[in-house]
Amino acid sequence: MSTTNLVVGYRTDKKDHILFNNLSLKLRQGELVCFMGSNGVGKSTLIRTLAGLQEPLAGAFEIPNDQSVAVVLTDRINSALMTVYDLITYGRYPYLNWKVSLSKLDHELIDHAIQLVHLESIIAKKLFELSDGQLQMVMIAKALAQNTPILFLDEPTAHLDLNNRVEIMNILRSLCRTAGKSILVATHELDLALQTADSIWLATPDRKIIEGIPEDLVLDGTFDQVFQFKGFDLKTGKMTHETFRKTSIHLKGEGHTYLWTKNALERNGYEVNEKAPCLVSISEKNGQSIWSIENSTFKTIKDLLENLKKF
Amino acid sequence: MRQTTFWREGIILGALLVVLLILNLSIGSVRIPISSLVNSLYSSENGVYQTILWHFRIPKALTCILAGSALATGGLLMQTLFRNPMAGPDVLGLTSGASLLVAALLLVGQFNPGITGAIFQNPWSIALAASTGGAMVFILIISIANYVKDNTSLLIIGLMISAATSSVVSVMQFTSQADDLQVFMIWTLGSVGNTGWKELGVLSLILLIGFIISYGLIKPLNSWLLGENYARNLTINLNRSRIFIVIATGLLTGAVTAFCGPIAFVGLAVPHLVRLVIPITNHKILIPAVMVGGASLLLLCDLLAQIPGRTQVLPLNAVTSMIGAPVVIWMVIKSKRISV
Repeated sequence: MSTTNLVVGYRTDKKDHILFNNLSLKLRQGELVCFMGSNGVGKSTLIRTLAGLQEPLAGAFEIPNDQSVAVVLTDRINSALMTVYDLITYGRYPYLNWKVSLSKLDHELIDHAIQLVHLESIIAKKLFELSDGQLQMVMIAKALAQNTPILFLDEPTAHLDLNNRVEIMNILRSLCRTAGKSILVATHELDLALQTADSIWLATPDRKIIEGIPEDLVLDGTFDQVFQFKGFDLKTGKMTHETFRKTSIHLKGEGHTYLWTKNALERNGYEVNEKAPCLVSISEKNGQSIWSIENSTFKTIKDLLENLKKF
Repeated sequence: MRQTTFWREGIILGALLVVLLILNLSIGSVRIPISSLVNSLYSSENGVYQTILWHFRIPKALTCILAGSALATGGLLMQTLFRNPMAGPDVLGLTSGASLLVAALLLVGQFNPGITGAIFQNPWSIALAASTGGAMVFILIISIANYVKDNTSLLIIGLMISAATSSVVSVMQFTSQADDLQVFMIWTLGSVGNTGWKELGVLSLILLIGFIISYGLIKPLNSWLLGENYARNLTINLNRSRIFIVIATGLLTGAVTAFCGPIAFVGLAVPHLVRLVIPITNHKILIPAVMVGGASLLLLCDLLAQIPGRTQVLPLNAVTSMIGAPVVIWMVIKSKRISV
């Protein structure tokens, strides 16, 4: 799918409100693209436009045909009595006649979608019995049942817990790899996007979209420019802490224990510095970590932090 | 474990309809024993029974069935189109349009008694006035539906048209004479007893068209439940289906209002009552279920309108609301889940 000089926005009686100007973007086959940008920048509008649900203000975009895009939107479904199975069935509607009777192939594609998103245990439930996360999974299954080469998802991982977020992104990734689908995901999950996306579309405040692979955009500072991070260092992936205790500590140790101890110290306002005089060393005894300062030893980081104040 | 079928509930609903139909034919100011119902239809052994059945009871029962199923289907279509459980077949303002012209017709009487006399000799004139009024609002609504592209605006405009026409009717009532007023009031209470075989023929023909269009709209109706964006993504032609839903509702509600007056409550309540028994959102099953449910409810209300031992019957609208409202309140409280 590709766009040429696409102008996206919405039209009121008096004038056009342009959200994106002169977009020339490309969504290649088998590619997972994460579409990022601040709230209100127009991500949903662009997705609706590319899905053909809304007219562009100018320019053009090419998609294979009008049945080649499936969407997962943020629109609420109000039909409490609808079953999960019925909702997934909607994915087959573009291919059904007026009586909406399902063929064997339709049933197979629906069952396949159910398997992919692991919904077997809840297919008979009604929508009011589902959690937000489960409902999101069902909407994704509906879009998969549509069996389209292109998939647009508008914040599919909002309301989901970490496990489900990772699972959704993994499913989308494997759909790109194995089924050759092109997937565009609007998301605010920076960490997940950086780890899964083949390419990033980054909406800038000046109504453009920057396209690039995640690592390039991190290193050349584009992310920092767009998001204006406050207290977050993208290159290390950590929050920046104020060293309000004005104390430096020399931490000796290795592996995960070292990293999490450093995290705890920085979170509590200490600076971790190799040249500092105060030495905290981590050793291991019978498979358990032990923290020591001078002659005192502690069995947990909590103990360490509480006693550190005395030194 | 795929799609649940509701054979048991369907059979119960169907059986309910048959029982109510038999009771409806049997009970009235003259009681016809159920055992001699079938006999009385064909043999002139008991001429009185035969006359009562063929001239009064059967047309009335058929009117109940037709009107009940039509109003319930109209209500279902409106609730789905507007994704609003409070919608009924009268939200488009058709009923008020019909009332307006019927009121105008009956009001003419106070200036020209000759016309009033002529009107009441011709049983078709009220039906004609009602359908003209309904059709006028209907054409107005269709052109508005073509112009405004979202359902909420259409719903509000329909309600506003209702409010405006109702106020004109109020002014007419205020300025009219007591006799005319009473005739009009009786019409607004609704009735299933004024339809002969000829009227039934016309009514059933129009309703048949309405039912066929409704059943043909299963796919767009189901899709509307997901909202406009998803429906459009499923390649549903939204504007065309919206117009056809309005046409079907217009035919169903308009025809019933023309022949039976504005029957309240059935169109709003039946879809909810049916969904409480058959909790499903697929219109392929919902439309026939709602038709049977509407027919049953109106037969029941007509049955309850009979005052034992007297020839008088209670006004239909009073019964539909008096009996129906508490039942719906009870069921809603019990199930705690009402949705489209």
